Amino acid sequence: MQREVYRLKMYKLRFHGRGGQGARVASKVLGTAAFLDGYYAQDFPLYGAERRGAPVAASARISEEPIMERGVIAEPDIVIVMDETLLQDPLTKPVLGIKQGGIVLINTAHSPEEAKVEYKITAQVLTLDITKIGLDMLGMPILSTLAGGVAARIVGLSEDSLTDAVKKVLSEIITDKRLLDKNVAAALYCFNAITPAKIELELKTTDAIKKKSSKVISVPFEPATVSSPAINATGNTPLRMTGNWRVFRPVWNYDSCTRCMICVARCPDGCILVNEDGFPYTDYDNCKGCLICVEECPTNSLGKVREVHV
Amino acid sequence: MRKEMLTGNAAAAWGVRLAEVDYIPVYPITPQTEIIETLARWISDGVMDSKYVTMDSEHSMLTAAGSASATGARAFTATSSQGLLYGFEMLYAVAGWRVPLVMANVSRGLSSPITLEPDHNDVLAARDTGFLQIHCETCQEVLDSILMAYRLVEDERVLLPIIVNLDGFYLSFTREPVEVPDVEQVRNFLPLYQPKHAFFKASQPMAQSAAVLGGLGYSYFKYQMHMASQNALAVYKEVCEEFETGFGRNYDTIEGYMLDDADYVLVMTNSFSTLGKAAVNNARESGIKAGLLRLRLVRPFPVADLKAAITGKMAVAVIDQNISIGKGGILHSEIASCLYNEKHRPLLLSFIAGLGGKNISPDEFEFIINKTVTGADTEDAGTAQLIYTDKEWQEMERLKRMAGKG
Repeated sequence: MQREVYRLKMYKLRFHGRGGQGARVASKVLGTAAFLDGYYAQDFPLYGAERRGAPVAASARISEEPIMERGVIAEPDIVIVMDETLLQDPLTKPVLGIKQGGIVLINTAHSPEEAKVEYKITAQVLTLDITKIGLDMLGMPILSTLAGGVAARIVGLSEDSLTDAVKKVLSEIITDKRLLDKNVAAALYCFNAITPAKIELELKTTDAIKKKSSKVISVPFEPATVSSPAINATGNTPLRMTGNWRVFRPVWNYDSCTRCMICVARCPDGCILVNEDGFPYTDYDNCKGCLICVEECPTNSLGKVREVHV
Repeated sequence: MRKEMLTGNAAAAWGVRLAEVDYIPVYPITPQTEIIETLARWISDGVMDSKYVTMDSEHSMLTAAGSASATGARAFTATSSQGLLYGFEMLYAVAGWRVPLVMANVSRGLSSPITLEPDHNDVLAARDTGFLQIHCETCQEVLDSILMAYRLVEDERVLLPIIVNLDGFYLSFTREPVEVPDVEQVRNFLPLYQPKHAFFKASQPMAQSAAVLGGLGYSYFKYQMHMASQNALAVYKEVCEEFETGFGRNYDTIEGYMLDDADYVLVMTNSFSTLGKAAVNNARESGIKAGLLRLRLVRPFPVADLKAAITGKMAVAVIDQNISIGKGGILHSEIASCLYNEKHRPLLLSFIAGLGGKNISPDEFEFIINKTVTGADTEDAGTAQLIYTDKEWQEMERLKRMAGKG
């Protein structure tokens, strides 16, 4: 175990991903590995609406002493961004509260320097194209054990505990032994693919934090026109583009397309429209990349291309 | 015995598995569903031998669970929030049958507005039903309390149903290390349920829950329930002692944290007590003799233990994670009524905090403790205070604008 990395008494981590990507399981892998390495550990998810593609955060606390905290981690030491598009999501704000000198690991094809500039992150940035590793080693963009492996390396846990943790956590949810073995290999690959930076927290920031501290107030009365939980504003769902969730983009080959419209009928989100010439095309602002259209096309006129945010 | 990372929900399921429960009627609700999913998987895998039935509502679920319990089966069920309220009629009914049903409630704030996160208006709404109540702080305590609950309520001096409460999210979905005892060890502590008063034999029909008019019968039955609940205080002590002998963990009716020499006391329940303990540590570091009292047994109310723990203290701050609309904190009222006739009663302050799972930050605890110290100095308890910060107000203002509220 890289004890020199483990400088703090307690590490607080947040994983940010999208529903189905494996943020919750990543936090379990990390928590279990820490527990097996003899630390006190606590891990938990924060869901909003439970659906695929929705932003999901999961957290873990790893400590040398009993943990006297519960709930949301407002000021993490380490953030693992499993989906790069979340960095531009105005509601998710994955790096919010990250401590100066803390570490943000981003799943991206960017270099750390590029990502730091692109996303205006002041903390230390590490990058790894975890999605590519997932696709190469598992054949699917499910990144739970891979993100867990990365996190285990950053906090300085052992390879043995990581291996046991992946086996333990996955055996509770899948029965496919080969897939489990592939996950162990992928987690270890990620574990060894990064060179963990040292967390360099400025421990003297207490004064600055004190100044910003919040004050308890007396909440004033407001009439029910304001204080009932009704929403008077008109709906804004159309403003919320869902197209940035895609791992794969469907692409068209109009040479073989017969304009049969099966793809139009099958798209669960109504994201396939028809152009002036009668050919279907995708509304990429809202297509989530489920690829049902690719599956259903009888003439194989649809292919897929991985989305890379560079 | 083995130790592993478990959520509060998984810990509850382990308690049920180790108690070798016979019958489990279920209905799903977030954040409880993981309990019944875990049990379903174990039964399907053949590692647990129980009858599992999916019901059409919490009302039916509670009826089935109580009825099974009345036939002499060991029964378990679980719910949360709106589900508890939907089955509410049957809480009173089942308690009146005098059956030792154990139910887990995973606390979640009540609608409207709807939320998924915890406060205790759901479980405290059931405080007058006849169900006993144990409120848990940790995942370990959830598992242990299920075992203790069966032992407590199956005692002939008690025979009332019981709720084991755990907070949604903060315990239900939070994993932490939990010791899972061996089943043989549990069998030593919790023998087979063999009721004398509740049984079912097809050859010997009986009627449950007779109709009574005129009040004479009704008064008798209701007061018997109250006395049985009061009996549970002494029985609880025995169960607690035996549990400690068997498993090495002590769970008294109340838990004191740095309480003995404390001048100022925070009173809390459930998982947020962990945050309160950290706040006590912080206060001690800055020279304030603070302590924390966690109420674990909420029904029957441990009046004597509570009095012994806090009479003579300078000031006590009750932090209610609930609100009785039009009155204030529920536990504040209950504790005040215990202390009214005491000569050396402490000043009693009331705070409402953590509604709908709102975090209580170290700053907010600092405010509570400072107000408690000042209150003792000036002998002024002030009025009940909602713990809500300027930053949260700013965020609320933003949300109101978004919702078109000017």
